[in-house]
Amino acid sequence: MARVFNWQLGRAMDYWYPENRPKRQFGAVFDINKCIACQTCTLSCKTTWTSGRGQEFMFWNNVETKPYGYYPLAWDVTLLEALGAQTWDGATYTGRTVFEAAPPGERVLGWMPDGMDYASPNIGEDEITGQVDKGMALTLPQQVWMFYLARICNHCTYPACLSSCPRASIYKRPEDGIVVLDQSRCRGYQECVRACPYKKVYFNPATGTSEKCIACFPKIEEGIQPQCFVNCIGKIRLQGWVNPPARAREDNPIDYLVHVRKLALPLYPQFGLEPNVYYVPPVNVPDAFLVQMFGPDAPAAVKTYRNARHDRTLAGLFALFGSTERTIPFFRISGDEAIALDDDRREIVRVPIYEPLFIRPAEDPARRIIRLNVT
Amino acid sequence: MAATMWGEPFGRAARTRRVCATCMHEPLRCALRAGVLILFLAAIAAAGACRRGPAVDATQVTAMPVTGALPTEDPLSALWNRAPEHPAALLPQDVVEPTLAAPGATRVNVRALHNREWIVFRLGWEDATENTLAEIGVTSDSVALQLPVAPGTQVPDPAMGEAGKAVQLLYWKALWQGDAERAAAGQDRVAALYPNATTDHYPFLANPAAKEEMARRYAPAEAAGNPITRPPGASPVQELLAEGYGTTTAAPAQRAIGRGAWRDGRWLVTLARPLDEGDGLARLTVGQKTVLAVAVWDGASRQAGARKMRSAWIPLVLEAAPAP
Repeated sequence: MARVFNWQLGRAMDYWYPENRPKRQFGAVFDINKCIACQTCTLSCKTTWTSGRGQEFMFWNNVETKPYGYYPLAWDVTLLEALGAQTWDGATYTGRTVFEAAPPGERVLGWMPDGMDYASPNIGEDEITGQVDKGMALTLPQQVWMFYLARICNHCTYPACLSSCPRASIYKRPEDGIVVLDQSRCRGYQECVRACPYKKVYFNPATGTSEKCIACFPKIEEGIQPQCFVNCIGKIRLQGWVNPPARAREDNPIDYLVHVRKLALPLYPQFGLEPNVYYVPPVNVPDAFLVQMFGPDAPAAVKTYRNARHDRTLAGLFALFGSTERTIPFFRISGDEAIALDDDRREIVRVPIYEPLFIRPAEDPARRIIRLNVT
Repeated sequence: MAATMWGEPFGRAARTRRVCATCMHEPLRCALRAGVLILFLAAIAAAGACRRGPAVDATQVTAMPVTGALPTEDPLSALWNRAPEHPAALLPQDVVEPTLAAPGATRVNVRALHNREWIVFRLGWEDATENTLAEIGVTSDSVALQLPVAPGTQVPDPAMGEAGKAVQLLYWKALWQGDAERAAAGQDRVAALYPNATTDHYPFLANPAAKEEMARRYAPAEAAGNPITRPPGASPVQELLAEGYGTTTAAPAQRAIGRGAWRDGRWLVTLARPLDEGDGLARLTVGQKTVLAVAVWDGASRQAGARKMRSAWIPLVLEAAPAP
């Protein structure tokens, strides 16, 4: 075991291999508040990558409802229970990571799901946390809640799948930090399936090898965002590049949301993998749940998001989500517009920060008629 | 009298001794099983006949010569009675994580025969379930026999060899043998795992002319030529090379064959290869003294890769044919 630094935990930790960050790291932000669980992302991934024999049960991208949904079954609660107390002292994690909690003879604290655990990907969908009783009215904060959690492989900085493979069949691409499972090298031991805390590696019984999300790296190489990003109806996703805090740039969209405004947070940072898909937390969920899932910055992120509409930079940046097929390495706000910029700071696309608002009067004076409000 | 087909004496000191070919017990125990005076007389007669049974050799594996065809794919052949049996002791793999936490089969019985051109090993071990399919959380029963590529005084590390001292492995997987049986019945692995499942549409079926090519797009391991993906007609035994754990690769030549039979909680598997396989692979010659090691994986216990029971190096002798 080597010692590496995990900035999400604010401390050093054990990992199987020494620290070796890529030249650039694939990073993403998902705004949970905009997700409607239409599953278009899921469909686009499945059509592209997992429509083969043996892949029927695989959803490299999935959307599950929280708190009662999971794919595979109980993927997070099983590990949270096994990990023991996950405590924070300010921004420093004082509990154990899955590497530090590895039992003797193991590299990672993991668990192997059953085939049947994948049989109900929509379990708990739209299940709210309590009954809606007669006479209940909508209040804020909401009395009952649920939210949708869209998940892909997090292309972690310290992947558990990578460290668990006895053959080193999983590697992180040095050019973009995408975690890839070498299909010519895998011998189907399923250690990666067992080790991944997010259960985002899947064993293909037809080929006898394991498979996982590849972040559509052929698209990334062409400068365009993955399938699940560009097909998202709600425009909740943005792909760019994320830097460690010391190298964070204010004009980098992912750095801005993650480091500068601390609005986009990692998923279960306490596992210790330094995942690189970041979430804007849902505003209608109690703090305790959010802190367990996204870390101690979650309640402050909710406050920031509630005010985002009045914050030109934030509002403009969110308007760039889903505005272009291309990866957005840089951005700037100029007047009433948000501009996406490529690696050379040349304009990709510009969008208005606020959609223009038109109000049609109820009466049409020229035709002397009341307009019908047909909605 | 009821007796297991290939029973073995338990808890005995390691010595070579004769056992009855019929019931695999020592002659006196044959007699005690009989139980009454009349049968005692029959047992004495049987004991006389038991003198010609195969031996149990706790010190080495002796490959006995035969003339003519070897039972390369017949683990139940009567020819196996000619070979002494070596009970190889197994220990859980504990050299590198992940180690095997719960030990499995503690012994593999090894026999070997050769006909100066080919050598065939028969490995027998206890396995309560027959696992010929792999899915999430379930692996295939497997067994491997390891030989040093360059026999001599400098034997490689028994844990998969070491850099500069390669080992060759004959690796049999129940999954591959099951594939051939399933293909003969027109079934593939997915249909065997989920016999009641229906799928509405596979994109690669939309274009019959491009079906094969499109199917391979969704099976990158096959398209990449990964040796773990074998066509159903291929031999269930694969030849591998390794120089230390984690370095297993397919051998340049694949000539090994074999067959496994599972019955009453035991596997019997034959592994056969030519004595001479050219450079880079273990060369076996008659009269040679070398070593071998074995490893088994129990699919029901999710054993695969490093989670295995394995033996130390065991002396292997290829006995020359007796002078005419």
